[in-house]
Amino acid sequence: MRLTRRDFSRLAGAGALAATAPSVFSPAIAQDKPLKIGIIAPRSGVVGTAGECGIRAVQWATERLNKSGGIAGRKIELAIEEETNPKDTIERFRRLILQEKVEAVHGLLSTGVSLGVAPVAEEEQALLVMWDGTTQDGVKEMMPNPRYVFRSTDNECEAVMGSLLAIKHFKGKFKKVAGINPDYSYGRNNWEAFRQILARYGVESEFVAEQWPKVGTMDLTSHIAALKASKPDLIFSSMLFADLPVFMKQGHAAGLFEGVKLVLPAAGWQINLLKKEFMPEGIIFGHNTLYFDHPQASPLQKAFVTDYMDRYREAPHWEAERAYFALVAYKAGVEAAQKAANKWPTQEQVAEAMPGLEVESLGGMGRFRKDKIAEQIFYQGPSTNNNKYDFPTLASIDSFSAAQLQKPPGVDFWEWIKNGKMPV
Amino acid sequence: MTELVDVVLGGTFHAAVLFLVAAGLQLVFGVQKIVNLACGSFYALGAYFGITAVGMALKLGMPAPLFFPVLTLAGLAIGLVGLPIERVLRTIYRRDESYQLLITFGFLLMFQYVFRFLWGATPRSMDNVYMAYGTTQIWGVRVPTYNLLVIAASLGIAVALGLLLERTRTGRIVRATAENRDMAEGLGVNASKIFALVFTVGCMLGTVGGALVVPSSAASLDMAVELVVEAFAVVVIGGLGSMRGALVGALIVGLMRAAAISLMPEMEMLSVYLVVVAALILKPAGLFGKATA
Repeated sequence: MRLTRRDFSRLAGAGALAATAPSVFSPAIAQDKPLKIGIIAPRSGVVGTAGECGIRAVQWATERLNKSGGIAGRKIELAIEEETNPKDTIERFRRLILQEKVEAVHGLLSTGVSLGVAPVAEEEQALLVMWDGTTQDGVKEMMPNPRYVFRSTDNECEAVMGSLLAIKHFKGKFKKVAGINPDYSYGRNNWEAFRQILARYGVESEFVAEQWPKVGTMDLTSHIAALKASKPDLIFSSMLFADLPVFMKQGHAAGLFEGVKLVLPAAGWQINLLKKEFMPEGIIFGHNTLYFDHPQASPLQKAFVTDYMDRYREAPHWEAERAYFALVAYKAGVEAAQKAANKWPTQEQVAEAMPGLEVESLGGMGRFRKDKIAEQIFYQGPSTNNNKYDFPTLASIDSFSAAQLQKPPGVDFWEWIKNGKMPV
Repeated sequence: MTELVDVVLGGTFHAAVLFLVAAGLQLVFGVQKIVNLACGSFYALGAYFGITAVGMALKLGMPAPLFFPVLTLAGLAIGLVGLPIERVLRTIYRRDESYQLLITFGFLLMFQYVFRFLWGATPRSMDNVYMAYGTTQIWGVRVPTYNLLVIAASLGIAVALGLLLERTRTGRIVRATAENRDMAEGLGVNASKIFALVFTVGCMLGTVGGALVVPSSAASLDMAVELVVEAFAVVVIGGLGSMRGALVGALIVGLMRAAAISLMPEMEMLSVYLVVVAALILKPAGLFGKATA
């Protein structure tokens, strides 16, 4: 076919019109392009291992979702950036939304970082779905009603649950209590919550020692000597990262745990390092929102855990679950908003659609509250070494919803600890 | 009494590891006048490589008691990485001190990514060595025998290093180069070779420290930074460039920290910094350092 000058002018005019009116044509164009999602997670430093687990899960989920059509018909494409300090992470967040043109950013583990990134997300009107970050200064909510920022469950959920299970399983069997917790707001709030819950339910306790090693302390022999000197009946520790396995190994070698009960609400994060040879049985052992060995696990969880353990030769922990939950909650929001608008939704429309949508995640059903804080299921229980792995599993499983473990919207945490309804 | 013994042993164990890292720092500064911020990376490198070496020893069916020498040899072997790093550092010997700080800080950051690439982000640990040596009772206190081995090894290394520097010809040449490089070169000393030797030995002190400590702890991406702050406290207290200062400074830091943890946990690091401040005010050159004009 010969292209005349008139045909060319007509085509060029149509092209120019399309270029100058993107809003008219963008839904159709958007449907054809991959849906770009930014991921910001730590890949080095103390939290590197947790970030890596989350990234693996979101890659697994992306592959799986893309096989069944992606999100609202668009294949998912991930743009992964590293979470480091607040300043650099904010720059990477801006780069993702302004240069990479991602339609949402998922990730963030550190509340210290997310406290900095969240206001930027609001300012840029960019959807941000956090894996493990909150917008709390200690336990005080700094962003009660964000429009674009979705936060994880309160950090203290696992400590509240661990405290309640300590009462359930150990009440009457201990009096002298010691704590060794990481020296930042997470550790301090968990320890205080534990103390207050024991007091609220009339558990007579004498607090004989408090230790506050800084995160990353790999020699805890002096802390262990101090704990031994206090002769506790029960030790509560919300230590994380490599610190907890080091504490357990050095404590076991020094004979600290003989006849002592243990409550480790965040132990599941480092499950692969907590070897049976130094882990006593009967510990209240927290797995947060994913217990990888749940006998009644859903087909989804079983498929994920099997693939993960085959590929990486280790067990996945709750960061995988948080990452998966963020993606499927976002998917549900996009699809609901698209259905309502009958065209590709804006980020604002997705943010409005997401709260209240119930989705199946790896650890069970979950949703975001109206104030955009997650509600998921938590798993803990007494540990056993009678299993096929080289680390402990749960002898029996207690599961609570985050709705039972975190303060309701607008309520002060310490008031709620004193007077709130708890699943005792 | 048992509590006191427990605290002292805990502090001494910490001091033993701290000494090895600080001694490497001191040796390199004493001779090459380089403040090596990457000394913590060598410590971490030794820890990771120690895990790999013990894994290989396990595959070869070696008995557990041999793991301690395996770890020591692994630390010495991987310490040879100091040779190529020293070649890079040669380019900035004559430049401003800020270049040295920047380049060694660059190595510190780069090593973290090397560790992640080679060993992954998940902390690595070995559990079959720490327990294999059992426990020992000292004045009614149960102590892991492995901790005592580390303390003994650290003392042995301190003595050997002292003998090397004070009683051998190589030691005299090293001291002469440290005193006046140009004069030593004028007398026929190959300063480049001495610098390569000193930097590699300094590196080996860190890698051996990391390899020996890892059975009791874990190798993690952040461990490079963990000990550096305390190592610099040791240097300030003991005196920059002094090996005796490294030994005494490490003992002061280790025991002070252990006492604070036992008596007032909130003062754990503050107690160390208080000693650092006191040293800077009362004896700015440190306990064994030389005052400069």
